[in-house]
Amino acid sequence: MTSLLKKIAAAVRSFVPGGLIPVLMISGVLLNGCGSEHQETGKNGIVHLTYWPSANEYEINLAVLEVAQWNAAHPKIQIKMQPIPSSQSSEEVLLAAIAGKTTPDICSNIWPGKMGQFTRAKAVVQLDTFADFDSLFAARIPENLIKDSRYLDGHFYQIPWKTNPVMIQYNVGMFKSAGVDTFPRTYSQYLKAGRKLTRDLNGDGQIDQWMGIVDVRAKWWVRFFDFYPFYIAASGGQTLLKGRKVLFDTQASVDVFRFFQTGFNEGIFPRARFQTDPFLMKIVASRFTGPWEIAHTEKYKPKGLTYDFAQIPLPDGKKGHSYTYGDPKNIVIFSTTKHAYEAWQFVKFLVTPKADLNLLKLSGQLPVRKGLMEDSLYRPYFRKNPMMVKFAKMIPFTRGVDSVPEMEEIFDAISLEFEASAILGKRTPEDAVKRAAKRCRQILIE
Amino acid sequence: MTKLSPKYKKPGNKVAYLMITPYLTYFLVFMAFPLVFSFVLIFHKWDIVSSMHWVGLGNLSRMFHDQLFFQSLINTGIFLLLNIPLQIFIALLLAMLLNEKIFARSFFRAVYFMPVVISGVVITILWQQLYSEQNGVLNLILFHLGLPKIPWLRSPALAMPSIALMATWKNVGLYIILFLAGLQTVPRYLYEVADLDGASSFDKFFYVTLPAINPTLILVVILSTLGGFSLFIEPFVMTGGGPMGHTMSTVLYIYKEAFLFGRMGYAASLAFVYTLIIFAVVAVQRKIIEQE
Repeated sequence: MTSLLKKIAAAVRSFVPGGLIPVLMISGVLLNGCGSEHQETGKNGIVHLTYWPSANEYEINLAVLEVAQWNAAHPKIQIKMQPIPSSQSSEEVLLAAIAGKTTPDICSNIWPGKMGQFTRAKAVVQLDTFADFDSLFAARIPENLIKDSRYLDGHFYQIPWKTNPVMIQYNVGMFKSAGVDTFPRTYSQYLKAGRKLTRDLNGDGQIDQWMGIVDVRAKWWVRFFDFYPFYIAASGGQTLLKGRKVLFDTQASVDVFRFFQTGFNEGIFPRARFQTDPFLMKIVASRFTGPWEIAHTEKYKPKGLTYDFAQIPLPDGKKGHSYTYGDPKNIVIFSTTKHAYEAWQFVKFLVTPKADLNLLKLSGQLPVRKGLMEDSLYRPYFRKNPMMVKFAKMIPFTRGVDSVPEMEEIFDAISLEFEASAILGKRTPEDAVKRAAKRCRQILIE
Repeated sequence: MTKLSPKYKKPGNKVAYLMITPYLTYFLVFMAFPLVFSFVLIFHKWDIVSSMHWVGLGNLSRMFHDQLFFQSLINTGIFLLLNIPLQIFIALLLAMLLNEKIFARSFFRAVYFMPVVISGVVITILWQQLYSEQNGVLNLILFHLGLPKIPWLRSPALAMPSIALMATWKNVGLYIILFLAGLQTVPRYLYEVADLDGASSFDKFFYVTLPAINPTLILVVILSTLGGFSLFIEPFVMTGGGPMGHTMSTVLYIYKEAFLFGRMGYAASLAFVYTLIIFAVVAVQRKIIEQE
């Protein structure tokens, strides 16, 4: 063995110049230092795990509290909290971490649309192998969200953690002053109210107050706040796909595209972006958003601004409850962990009833939990925060995204057609939906 | 013939190897390896996190049916057609002015060069504010003149010209410097002879200046062509490739395929074909200018 090693060393020396060897050794040490984020077991038998929460101020505060409580109660399993490193999106960071095998043990900011890719890459731990998974899942997750959490292979790799149903925030005062007393329930009611609320206030010939605001960029994720919740509502709770089959080339999509196209053509949505918050500046009377907006509005609202939240309107003639996009974020354990069992214990801790109360209180976001409204633990919170009740009531009527690895590309294809048809009015809604569906079929076949 | 000293001929000169090691390491890690690896990727399907799958020429055949890729090539072509002549015209004009003995010449030379050294992202964000439909300076001026506001970046017809205008503003300083250097090498006596022959300013420009600065012109055309082919930051920050894909440059499209959709193999194929196109265009350009 020794002679073999000597021969290899001699061969290396004959190929590699002497000066290069120290450089390679240093590089090796440095590269080794860039290795996996997950921690080894310490000499004293303590397991160290790394946990990445979202990097927003509210969730960092929550994570600090949760980790401090856990570490105090579990001296043998110590958690190191590190907010997701900043980038354009946390999905990009996670992808880079998976590629570089520098993923943490646990992460609680997983967009389910990315799970297809993570699962296909075997980057996440299959959670339904843990003995107590079924009981935890059955006790916590509402029936309507179980389907969204299951991967195509029938197994579970994520724990649904929180949800932010997309609703419409509107300025009550502006609506009342325009003679609109109740928030519109249908597209035609919304457009009619929009014509009243869209105004030239100073008589200079330019519109300076609009009914609503839509992000006019063609970025794939901005469709979570216009097309997608409207599509889910119009289709009675459908997502875009069934397995790998395109479902969205229906009248529901055409209705949604036409609604926004009419809104832009009639000028009730501006084809522009603002450098300030147009809702707080009373430039727009409504916007499509989630419960996180409550804390923001309360913090920055001008004196006298009164607001409320309403459900997504439905196409004329459509009966039934309004569904919406839940903007869920889930928890996973990455397969780089050397302590999956210990990581699972911490994941369970993050979804205990008490931790869910902390999530509500500190981040203003809703835990995915059965019977949230009826549970006596959360009642005081909802009494104190009546705005959150509207969002909590929507949880059974929320949908997530489908679990295919190409989800971003599918939203990108829809976004391009939405821009061409709904925003710029260059294509008919029928043509745009057909083109988007055709492109998505190609994406799913390739 | 001078004989090399024995110490230079000695194989395995450790000091020499040590001196070239940093660059060699850089070259191997950041240039040679990615080049070879991206060539290997052309024949594979790979999303960075999963294992690679051999697809043979599948990526290249997909490219021939990809309308968005061809649209991105057309967009880049439009950008080049707008940007190169505009840049050369403005740079040459300003260089000729700055070559004369005008008031505060050094100040103007510095001012025109300033955008070149400012970060591309910073400039792009500033121009985004200028172009803003609602509150942008350009539209506020138009509004006060009683003219309608222009959707500079939202109109499919105007978005790419708006980006080309901005790119011209950013890069023209560099080409002014190059043209200035070229103009200062033109011998004065050529103009004196032309004057004696009764040549007009027009004649002097076309028959003296332009042929004399031909090597600089070739350099500027090639540099601005290569710069145009690598159009990325401006559409990435300002429009994201919209509206309706009209500012989707080829580099931005390749980036999206690779890093947003995880189609590394396909993106490598596009990059490979795009490189061949760039080589071909630059070779043709050079041939034409040299003949002219």
